[in-house]
Amino acid sequence: MKKLLRIVVWTAIALLGAGALSAIALHRGEPLNATWFVLAAACCYLVAFRFYSAFLAARVFVLDDTRATPAEVHDDGRDFVPTNKWVLLGHHFAAIAGPGPLIGPTLAAQFGYLPGTIWLIAGAVLGGCVQDFVILFCSIRRDGKSLGQMAREEVSRRGGFLAQIAVLAIIVILLSATALVVVNALKSSPWGTFTLAMTMPIALLMGVYLRYWRPGRVLEASAMGVALIVFAVVSGQWVADAPSWARVFTLTGPALAIAIIIYGFAASALPVWLLLAPRDYLSAFIKVGATLALAGGILFVHPAVQMPALTRFIDGTGPVFAGKIFPFCFITIACGAVSGFHALISSGTTPKMILRESQARLIGYGAMLMESFVGVMAMVAACAMSPGVYFAINSPAGIVGTTAESAATTITGWGFRLDPQTMHDLARAVGEQSMLNRTGGAPSLAVGMAQIFSTTIGGPRLLSIWYHFAIMFEALFILTVIDAGTRVGRFMVQELGGHVWKPLGRKGWTPGILLSSGLIVGAWGYFLYQGVLDPLGGINSLWPLFGIANQLLAAVALVVATTILLKMGRRRWVCVTLVPMAWLVTITMTASYQKVFHSNPRVGFLARARELAEQLAAGVVPAAQIAATHRQIFNQRLDAAVTAVLAAMILVLIVEAVHQWYAILRGRGVAALHESPYIATKWLPGTEGAHAHGLPGGND
Amino acid sequence: MPRLSLIVQRIARTAWRWLREWSGDAAYDSYVRRAARVQPGKPPLAPAEFYLEQIERRYSRPNRCC
Repeated sequence: MKKLLRIVVWTAIALLGAGALSAIALHRGEPLNATWFVLAAACCYLVAFRFYSAFLAARVFVLDDTRATPAEVHDDGRDFVPTNKWVLLGHHFAAIAGPGPLIGPTLAAQFGYLPGTIWLIAGAVLGGCVQDFVILFCSIRRDGKSLGQMAREEVSRRGGFLAQIAVLAIIVILLSATALVVVNALKSSPWGTFTLAMTMPIALLMGVYLRYWRPGRVLEASAMGVALIVFAVVSGQWVADAPSWARVFTLTGPALAIAIIIYGFAASALPVWLLLAPRDYLSAFIKVGATLALAGGILFVHPAVQMPALTRFIDGTGPVFAGKIFPFCFITIACGAVSGFHALISSGTTPKMILRESQARLIGYGAMLMESFVGVMAMVAACAMSPGVYFAINSPAGIVGTTAESAATTITGWGFRLDPQTMHDLARAVGEQSMLNRTGGAPSLAVGMAQIFSTTIGGPRLLSIWYHFAIMFEALFILTVIDAGTRVGRFMVQELGGHVWKPLGRKGWTPGILLSSGLIVGAWGYFLYQGVLDPLGGINSLWPLFGIANQLLAAVALVVATTILLKMGRRRWVCVTLVPMAWLVTITMTASYQKVFHSNPRVGFLARARELAEQLAAGVVPAAQIAATHRQIFNQRLDAAVTAVLAAMILVLIVEAVHQWYAILRGRGVAALHESPYIATKWLPGTEGAHAHGLPGGND
Repeated sequence: MPRLSLIVQRIARTAWRWLREWSGDAAYDSYVRRAARVQPGKPPLAPAEFYLEQIERRYSRPNRCC
């Protein structure tokens, strides 16, 4: 009877999901209600989690709960800490959730809502979640080893080294692309700039509180910090209204870029307790809070999605970024569907804290489903505003001009009705001077969120407060990635550099810290600054570069996982990692090739360099612009070289792996698997939770 | 309805405990509980020392994503 009920319930969920998906896919004309998106995503996730992840756990990985996990074997109260699975799910989600799933889908909305939504759901279920799950599983079986170490041991020494270099390159590109989003959101915005600037003294205060006054009292300090931040958002309006103050906080793009570069350097070189850690606590709370609020807002308001299912820009002429739907829709969405960066988290802290192998299913597969859901909500928020407004906010000045009138003419010409007055009214309603040319996704997402929130609480009167709250949330989010990423990048530079020049590898040596911080900040700062100056909007070149790098890392993770599955003798099920890997290799290689060699100057880096060189040769460049044009030509060639080198490195790694797969499948040589030896768990079934809390019942 | 209030109390207590563990607020308490077993005979670190050591380690490897 119970079994029958289960079959009925799951059939109903599956049918509901299929119905919602077909409603989204086949609907044309009238605006579509956002509830369909939430339903389609939720039902697909439930079915995938219940059936596909169970299949992966039982048949492909054969998770074994009699095996002691690293947390049990090495339990040291520091790195290896047995942790309750729901708490660990929260940790893992807070670690993998970043600005990517908010920005990517917002940018990809230029193709219409359909391609992005389908890829967010399908890519996560079949690719991203599988990657996170399999890497977590492999790392648990290897005492929590990192992706680089696993690549070295299971694929080849060279493979491990290439993976390490790739990670460093990806961090540099990621930081420059996300920093550019912050610059585009805050330029000429005294309110937003003031709010974000205030997060620094607030973090310093929290840092001192946590270090000297009440050591480790994170909740007290965070509650105080969140209250102060809310006050900073509200008081930003007073700053923007006072001309003498507004002038101080009205910064141009280049000035903001320099401020962020200085911040990145400071966060990397200063002690972590002072700035980095307290900001991270703040950001974690606001991240989870704002995500839940957005989900609640969408469910409560269920806005109508005004963007069409497909726009004319699937042909590659999109104003936000250029390139056809294949491969650039997939490259742009990146993190919300598949994120290579997650493999670093799944093979870092999480495997050292998990209690049982079977919990990897909830934490590896489940957390990524949540992340994908965040991406779907961002897509809804971006598509809920009128398409004309969406394109006006997200198109660079080089395409729609810098005035509302010119933007309205161009965008109406594309077939999306836009009245210049709408843009003036919107800017005034959200408390900004202009909402044009704010490419990058953060401002349009903030407008979407503000419209949804203000419908729930406060009405149009509070629109400007909600808008700046959303901007603060995204900027805080991104700065957290920038400071944490710069610091991790610094350690990688120190580690790699230590092989070349010994003193650089020494941990506490101040000149070494300053030099390696300077190197990493200089690298991403360079790309950021050039992106700010780019007349086509740096997002057009930096975001695809970031997407390519991220998806390449995902391909690396899946190559390592495929190798391990083959060595474990699971060749029957190897398709679960091989198919997403082949897809990622296809899209990244196509995108890399197009970004380097495409004949359209907005897509191909080399074509753009050629176009600029021809303009110089023809003498049509004004004298004042000659130096800048030379610099642009150099940058286009640099971008092309970076793309080509990254793609080539990953190809070498894949060739090495395929060579090894061939040997394994032919039965030649010994496929040595570097798993840690089996140790039986000493915890009685059902007592892990008690053990994790140190409560009576845990048998330690 | 004494039973209902008991259930609410239990849920609230669990939620609070999870929140403290998730945020790191309870990290020192659980460290002290473990320290005696992991390194017997050695006094545990003071709260400020433990806090510094813990965040230093946490922020020297990838722990935040895109």
